[in-house]
Amino acid sequence: MAEFSTAVKYRGDVNVIYLNGFLDAHTAPQLENEFSKLIEENKYSIVVNFKDLNYISSAGLGVFMAFIEKIRENKGDIKLTSMNDKVFNIFDLLGFPLLYEIFKSEEEAVKKFNEIKKLENE
Amino acid sequence: MQNRILNLTKNVKFQLFLTAAALLFLFRLFFKPDDVLMLQVINEILVVTSVSFFILYLLDFLSKRSFSPVSMVMNVGILNAFLFFMMTFSGTILTGLFGDLSLEESRSGLVYYLVLFFYVFLLLISFSYFFITFKEFYFLKQKKNVSKHFNTMIIFILLASFTAMFGEKWDLEYISLSFFFISILLIVINSIKISWIAFIVKKEKLYVLFLSVIIAILFIVNIVNASDGNSNKLVLDHFSPSLTTFFKLIMIYGIIYYSILFFTTLFHLPTAEVYDRKAQEVTSLQYFSKLITQVLDFDELAETVTDIATKVCNAHGSWIVWKADNEFKNIATKNIGYVDVKLMTEYLHDIFINKADEKTEIVTLEKFNRRSELSEDYSVIAVTPLKAHNEIKGFLLTVKKSDFIFDEEDKNALETFGDYASVSIENSRLLEQSIEKERLEKELDVAREIQRKILPAAEPQYKNLSIASVFIPAFEVGGDYYDFFEIEDDKLGFVIADVSGKGISAAFIMAEVKGIFESLSRTSQSPREIFIKANEILRRALDRKTFVSAAYGIIDVQKETLYYSRAGHCPVLLIRGETVEVLKPAGIGLGLTHSKEFADALEEDTIELKGNDIIVLYTDGITEAKNSELEDFGEKLFEQILIENRHEDAGTISKKVISEISYFSKNYPQHDDITLVIIKWKQKLLNNGDKEWQNLAPQLNTGAM
Repeated sequence: MAEFSTAVKYRGDVNVIYLNGFLDAHTAPQLENEFSKLIEENKYSIVVNFKDLNYISSAGLGVFMAFIEKIRENKGDIKLTSMNDKVFNIFDLLGFPLLYEIFKSEEEAVKKFNEIKKLENE
Repeated sequence: MQNRILNLTKNVKFQLFLTAAALLFLFRLFFKPDDVLMLQVINEILVVTSVSFFILYLLDFLSKRSFSPVSMVMNVGILNAFLFFMMTFSGTILTGLFGDLSLEESRSGLVYYLVLFFYVFLLLISFSYFFITFKEFYFLKQKKNVSKHFNTMIIFILLASFTAMFGEKWDLEYISLSFFFISILLIVINSIKISWIAFIVKKEKLYVLFLSVIIAILFIVNIVNASDGNSNKLVLDHFSPSLTTFFKLIMIYGIIYYSILFFTTLFHLPTAEVYDRKAQEVTSLQYFSKLITQVLDFDELAETVTDIATKVCNAHGSWIVWKADNEFKNIATKNIGYVDVKLMTEYLHDIFINKADEKTEIVTLEKFNRRSELSEDYSVIAVTPLKAHNEIKGFLLTVKKSDFIFDEEDKNALETFGDYASVSIENSRLLEQSIEKERLEKELDVAREIQRKILPAAEPQYKNLSIASVFIPAFEVGGDYYDFFEIEDDKLGFVIADVSGKGISAAFIMAEVKGIFESLSRTSQSPREIFIKANEILRRALDRKTFVSAAYGIIDVQKETLYYSRAGHCPVLLIRGETVEVLKPAGIGLGLTHSKEFADALEEDTIELKGNDIIVLYTDGITEAKNSELEDFGEKLFEQILIENRHEDAGTISKKVISEISYFSKNYPQHDDITLVIIKWKQKLLNNGDKEWQNLAPQLNTGAM
């Protein structure tokens, strides 16, 4: 059975979820839990780092759809970063780049969040 | 003969007793047997007969009830006390009624005999009961068949009793005395082994110890009451010397048995607790081994485990901490409040995490800073790991209050018990898994059946088109769907889709998707329009996590044109000459977003069909098929096979692709549905007659697929 794990790091107001391994129908609930926890704590600025993710199935993609509405309603967002080509290809085929901002690196995603924060504060 | 008497019914025995007693009564009214040997013998025979039938009757009467040894000891005590009072006051009462009993004259008349018989009857009840109780005691927990010893003793007691009458008048006392002493010897021998005492608990042993002294003393007092110079002795001897002797022997049996009982109990007392625990362990393990076969319900099993755990080590409470999803959960609490359990589990958290061996660990609560919050004065906890698959899956916790400890015995008992519990829990879980597996398999059978019925049974037949489709379901139904719609004679609609998720839920969504495309294909002839409407419906129907990727195309045979759109699906491949064109118009998966965003992103492309163009639709089950090194089959290899076989008809190409995939992933299980649809264009000729001729051959080929 393919293994999957997640880790969460807080970078200021931005929460970064790191994905590792294989995200499919069997491991998707783990990621769902992570999102649920963050939302419970009213943390809506979320970056998902795909650096160590080897594979994502359609059920894995579904997880992002499950939470995005709630997060955007609360002026937050999910931004995706550091995908390998194979994973990006899967996202790309489904038209995810039209629905989500996808960045090359985690830094860019975090910076984007911080810029928005600044604009709001001004 | 003996058996025939023993086999008589209870009531008949009682009637025989009454008859013998009545005969005796009449006999005594009319004869004075004191001096005439013959009369004395008749008297004794009647007495012995009455007593025997009464004892036999009482034996039947009592055999229906089963008493514990301790309650039998107690019953003897009560009856003994009654006997003591009766014998102590009988002298006074009898003398008051009839004058000096040593005088011949006072011992006569109807009233005297009535009172005498009543008095003897009361005595009879007492010592018959004693006799039966001694018999019960004797056979209690005996391993060998020892009835011979007991029967021999009865014979000698009877002989001693019966010969007693000769001693009084004919100086043959030595006969009776000999039998008397042999009887006593046999009584001692028969009383020595009291094995049942080992099987009662410590509390009962203390109780028996205390009672046995009192009862032994009562027996002594009662025998003194019936000895020389006492009115009881006078009356009894007058009634029947045999009865006096029999009575004495029963009393002696009582003294001996209860004295030995006292000492035996005394010797058993220091080891009583060990016996208690061993007995407890044995019963617990027996109880538990029965439960191993009743593991259908995990929660019920856990309850039983904690219940027995408290008994195994005499703990005041017990619960199980079960590891699930890296969290510790308290289950099956026994004799202990939930809040207490929660507090103590928190305190023990570090131990749970660091515990690696299988030994029971004893933890005191002395350093527990929230001990005062506990509702009871708990002081020490035994932590016993529970394993499954050689991994610690949980802990069995037993707790004791202040002033109680877990000793080495408790620890061993808990460790042994922990092993038993682990095995049962493991069995329970395996059973649960296999039931779940069976359920899933049934569910998947249904899903596969739905999928099979949804997919088209055959490819449509079109002039200028060679069509082939292959579908290979994965074990866990993957949610692939494809279909053809014969819109008009010269228009073919086709769709390929992949529902996210797997199994029965994916199969149901497939069915829904089929319905949607089935109806939309009739109302609209634009793939883009169809997708926009389909998205609208699916956005409402599907939950947020679920979506459908699809590609839809329409071939207008007349116009030699392909119109197509892609909603998040794998690209459509067009093989033209030696090149593969990857047709990938923009589009988001169905159900992912609202109508406007979906429509804005969605493109529809048009391609004019030329020569022997081949249109290939597929799902990611093909490109993501894996080999044992977990490498993907991939687009490159797929395209290469398509180019190599471009001259073949659609059926042959699809077969070739599938055989290559099977070869590639022969050592790796298929984890997603594989769907492949190939449509090969046969260019029309300008001349109408030629067109008809041209199309005959390819259509035959198509049918072969």
